[in-house]
Formats: sequence, C-alpha cells, structure tokens
Amino acid sequence: MISFENLVVLLVYGATLSGVWALISSGFTLIFGVCRLLNLAHGGLFIAGAYIGLSLIKGFGLDPLTSTVLSMIAVGFIGSGVYTGLLMKVKEHEVTVVIITLALALIIEQVILLMFGEHGIIFPPILAGVVYLGDVPLPAMRIFGMAIALAALFLLGLFVTRTRIGREITAASQDVEAATFIGLDVNRLFIVTMFISSLLAGLGGVLYSQIYAANPFLVLKALIFAFAIVILGGLGSVKGSIVASFIVGYIMTVVIMFLGARWSELFALLIIIAALIIRPSGLFGVRE
Amino acid sequence: MGKKFIEVAAGVAVLAAVFASAPLYVPEALIWILGMSFLFIVIAMSWDLVTGYAGQINLGLTSFVGLGAYTSALLQVTSRLKGTPFEFLAGQTAVPVELSLLAGGVSSALVGAAIGGITLRLKGWYLALVTAILPIAFVQTTYVWKDVFGGEEGFTLPAGLAQTPIGKYYAALAVMLLSLATMLLITRSNISLRLKALRDEPELAESIGLDTVKLKILAFTASAFFAGIAGAAIVNYRQVANNDLYDVPLMLLVILAVVIGGSGTIWGPVVGGLLVYTMKLWWLKGVVYELVSSTGLPINDDVILYAILIALAILAPKGLWPVVNANISKILRRSHIFPR
Repeated sequence: MISFENLVVLLVYGATLSGVWALISSGFTLIFGVCRLLNLAHGGLFIAGAYIGLSLIKGFGLDPLTSTVLSMIAVGFIGSGVYTGLLMKVKEHEVTVVIITLALALIIEQVILLMFGEHGIIFPPILAGVVYLGDVPLPAMRIFGMAIALAALFLLGLFVTRTRIGREITAASQDVEAATFIGLDVNRLFIVTMFISSLLAGLGGVLYSQIYAANPFLVLKALIFAFAIVILGGLGSVKGSIVASFIVGYIMTVVIMFLGARWSELFALLIIIAALIIRPSGLFGVRE
Repeated sequence: MGKKFIEVAAGVAVLAAVFASAPLYVPEALIWILGMSFLFIVIAMSWDLVTGYAGQINLGLTSFVGLGAYTSALLQVTSRLKGTPFEFLAGQTAVPVELSLLAGGVSSALVGAAIGGITLRLKGWYLALVTAILPIAFVQTTYVWKDVFGGEEGFTLPAGLAQTPIGKYYAALAVMLLSLATMLLITRSNISLRLKALRDEPELAESIGLDTVKLKILAFTASAFFAGIAGAAIVNYRQVANNDLYDVPLMLLVILAVVIGGSGTIWGPVVGGLLVYTMKLWWLKGVVYELVSSTGLPINDDVILYAILIALAILAPKGLWPVVNANISKILRRSHIFPR
C-alpha cells in the first residue's frame, strides 16, 4: 500500500515535474501555433540553457540566480538567431524545417558531449535546503522550482493577452495573411515568438538541472515528452499543453517511482499512440 | 511496361558489372566499406520511396532498420529469447541467414503498417512528430530489455552473410541490386503515378477517387520492408547486433544521402548513399581529426555532416543533383556542344 509519506512525495514531485515540462512544451507549442514551425531543436535549446548557466557559474563565478537569468536570455537570443539565420528563408518548406532543426539538435548534442562529456551535470540550486510538509522532508528547490515555473506560465498568459505585441502574436497565429494585411510585421512577431519560446525552454533547462540533472542525451529524449504533451494537449494550443503537462507529468512520476526512469520514454510513446487513436486533435487542438 | 523494364534491367546490369568487378582493382580495406555502403544505400532508397515519391516525411525509418536487424539476429541467437513472449523459439535451431533477412523485412513491414495505419489517417504534422520520436523510443527498448537486446554493447552473431569478406561483399551487392530493381519497378509502375499525384496535389488526388490513405500506408509499409531487409543484412554483414541501427544519427545520414543524390529518383540515393557512406567511413574522420587538433574546436565528423546537411537543405532544398544537372547543361549549352 502507498503510505501517506509516499503520497505527499508523489503529489509534490509530480507537480514539480509537470511544471518544468509545461515550460518546455508551452514554448514548443507556441512556436508551432504562431509560426507553424516544428522546431525539433527545442530540446537542444532546453539543454543548452542548463549548460550555458553552469558555464557562467564555473567560468565567471556568478551566483546561481544571476546565471539562471543570463542563460535564459542567452538561449532566447540563440533561438531567435536560429530563426533569422536558418529557418526564415525556408519556413514554407515543412520537410526542410524539420530536417534542419533535427540536424541542429544533433549538433548541439554532439558539441555538449565533446565539451562536457556524457555524465549528467548538477546545477547549484538557487534555493538549497529542505522544507517539511508535515513530517515529510522535501527539497526546497522542488517547491521553489514549481513556483517559478507557474509564475513564468502566468506571465506568459499575461503577455499574450494583455500586451499589444502579445495580441499581435495571437492575431498572427490565427491568420497570418490577415495579420499581414492590417499592417503587422509578421516576421518581427515570429522572431519575438521564437525568443519567448526559447526563453521558456532555457528556463526549463536551468530549473531541470537544478532539481534533477541534465545530460546531453536529453536533447533528443526531451522531444518524446514534449511531443507526448503537445499531442495530448493539441498541437498549437498553449492552454492544452499546460493541462497535458500535468497529466503526463503525473503519469511519469508514477512510472518513475514504481517502475524506474528507464521506462518513462516507452510510457510517453504509449500516451502518444493512445492519444492519436482516441482523440487525434488532442484536448484543445487547433484545427488545421 | 516493356521499355521501362529494359531501362531498369540495363541500369541495374551496368551497376552490377561495375561493382562485381570492383574487388579486382579496389584495395581490400575499401571493399568492406563498399559492402556496408551497399546496405546503407538500400536504407536511403527506401526513405526515398516514402518521402520522395509519396511525399510523407518519415523521420523514423531507422526504427524499421533496427527492427529488421534485431528480428534477424534473434532468430539466429534464439537463446536470448528466453523469458519473452517468443520463448517457444528459444529451444529451436537457428534460422538460416537468408530466411532471417526475409523475416526481418516482414516484421518491419508489419510494424510499419500498424504505425502507418495510426498516423497516416491524420492530416498534417502527426506523421513527422510520431516518426521523429520512434527511434528514440526504440533505442530505449534495448536498455529496458537488456537481456534480450544487449543494451549498448549489443551481441554477436555466429553465422554472417558469408564465410569470407569477399563473399559478404557479393552478398551485400546482391541485396542492394535486388532491392534496387524491385524499387525501380515499383516506382516506374502505375502505383508510382498515383503516389506522385498524392505527393503533389493531395486534395486533387482524393477528389479524383484515389484512396489516398491506402496508398500512403502501402508506400510506408513497402519502405519499412526494405529498411528491415537492410537492417537484417547489416547485422549479418558485420555480425554484431547493436542499437546504433535504431538511432537518429543514422537517420540523418540517410537524409543527407538522399538530399545529396536528389529525392524522388531512387537512383539519386544510390549515388548519394555511396558518396556519404564512403566519405564518413573512409576519409572524413582523418580530415576532422586534423582540423580539431589544429584549431581545438569542439566538433567531430558527425557535426561536420550535420552542418553540411543544414547548408544543403537551405541552399539546395531539392537536393544537390538538380543543381549540378542544371549547371552541367548550362555549361554544355554555352560550349555549343549541345545547342538548344
């Protein structure tokens, strides 16, 4: 039987895992929803966040908080750079975009392997120590990380609905042609979207490596979980991806606690196949 | 049909003559690499069949390569099947190599039909999404069931395609030529006209009454079959079953070969596959080693290949061959050898 302690751990750990994955997958689905780009390098940006942050700490002696913020922004710029440098010209060719971003993901993986080796890295947490919930000890960073993730998602929601540029992005995601006709600079909106999407991935990477450990192989493995979430939530729906993150996050937590982490990729694949058979458009799918 | 058949037969015969005589003038060390590249070409051709002809992006073709490979390998090393649903095979004697190749192709085709059946009914992006992650998930199975698949180290096969390196070379050549001839005939038949219609004008194809879903699943399954044969032949060629055959790097190498050779031709992947694979195994590592030791950059041969792929995808999205071809005809026209 599950003890009370196990239940608390499962609830908290599940929420943390879900929150971090919500950051990663909402960025991934945002870039698809707005620009119709399937960015397979998103996992690469996620892991780049962790390694850039760690390099800032080791190379320049920055504190964890500053390096978290700087590495997020750096990943944001890398993402918009990838868009302007590589994807802008070919974005109408779906196959080309997919091939380029997949190749880019593998370049990121190989470069990280060559520079840092294959062993996982642990980022010094912004908040160390243990918090007691009743009698159950929980690492403070898990709870703080979840709070940061939820705050970032809340800010994303405010940005999209309350600011002018956010509304312009929403307009472009609904109808690119109409947005162009009313005089919006769609290309600039795409660059901003790519920046935000990468920023969220970078934050996800830093939080992930502070709570768990980051390794180069996550560049590709992250795609399985991100895809499971966006297919379940509906391609292009940010709201759907956040809801689906919590479903997938809790399933993964149960799998990892009771079967072991090596099973998690296969369960993610099962979720995808089940979602495609039962409800292909996802919970909140955007109609094509 | 008659004329097309003669064209196919002539092309295959020329290729057969060139490579069958290769051991006479090619050094022995290169023969091994050439044999491997024949089997790599089969994978590249089967990717072209589904992507170049039917227009469906299959980013997970290597999952079928690996499935064929492990099917063939496990049918020969049956003791590894203990404790699985296939335990009844564990006591049996090893299946002959040729039969195990066929079994590899069939098992890949079956799984391919199932995956195609789920994803190809859906419009848009789902095929690319699902197939992109299949290799990553399949690699994971080799760790989860380590006793069966052997994890990262894999396991060795006793028999092999032939006894001698030269014998293996000719066996690999035979596998390639048979696959090439079959795929050329498929792509020069009426089915391929329908596939092209589907690729270029999916809505129109549907409106004139083509069963597009059935066609797509057919192309996907055929491609999975040949990928499975290739995977099975590779494990028997090098006598090691290993999870690199499932993995994404092989997938990108295949895409690079098709991009270089030009897609939608079947002949393109033959040229591209030969170039890419011999380059990777023969001299690229040495060049990159020199580059790294002089500059200290964090790169390796794979990084260079992926960078080439990105550059080609942006600069020559239809493949390198059409560009070369256009320039050759331009030069010929200017030189007044072949005036228009």
